[in-house]
Amino acid sequence: VQSREFSSTTELADYVVKYKPLVSMDQRQNYKDDFNAEYDEYRLLHARVESITHHFTQLDAQCRKLAPGTKEYQKVQEEVLKEYKKMKQHSPNYHEEKQRCEYLHNKLAHIKRLIADFDQRRAQAWC
Amino acid sequence: PVEGSGDANCVDEILKEMTQSWPPPLTAIHTPCKTEPSKFPFPTKESHPFPS
Repeated sequence: VQSREFSSTTELADYVVKYKPLVSMDQRQNYKDDFNAEYDEYRLLHARVESITHHFTQLDAQCRKLAPGTKEYQKVQEEVLKEYKKMKQHSPNYHEEKQRCEYLHNKLAHIKRLIADFDQRRAQAWC
Repeated sequence: PVEGSGDANCVDEILKEMTQSWPPPLTAIHTPCKTEPSKFPFPTKESHPFPS
């Protein structure tokens, strides 16, 4: 009887497969160590993407305030192009870095959630 | 694609791409809680509310 096919085709993220709900304090420490091992890289990438996003969001806001066709508008548009080229030059791997950061975000959030669940279960057991 | 008008489209694309919302960073994990809670939820026996 082969009626269930979805389980084999559903792709789970590697960290969901690797990190299961916690059962011991030793495991908690391991999970936390793994979290910390990648946390610095994550924060670095996050800050980089954040500052670039912030910069372009500001330019975007300027564009929206100006009427298209005006000199000021044109100036900001050129600024956007200039900044984009600059960004491509300084961080040619920006998109890869952003993707990596999103992956780390989801992975670390998953580990953190498992630890929080474990802590909560333990706290409840004490009551 | 015309060079002049291509720029405006290009800028729109860039802005759309580069201003995607970015979530705030995850905070670090707190130090593990102590093996015992520091406070037990039992009422303290020391206080005797009756007047002496």
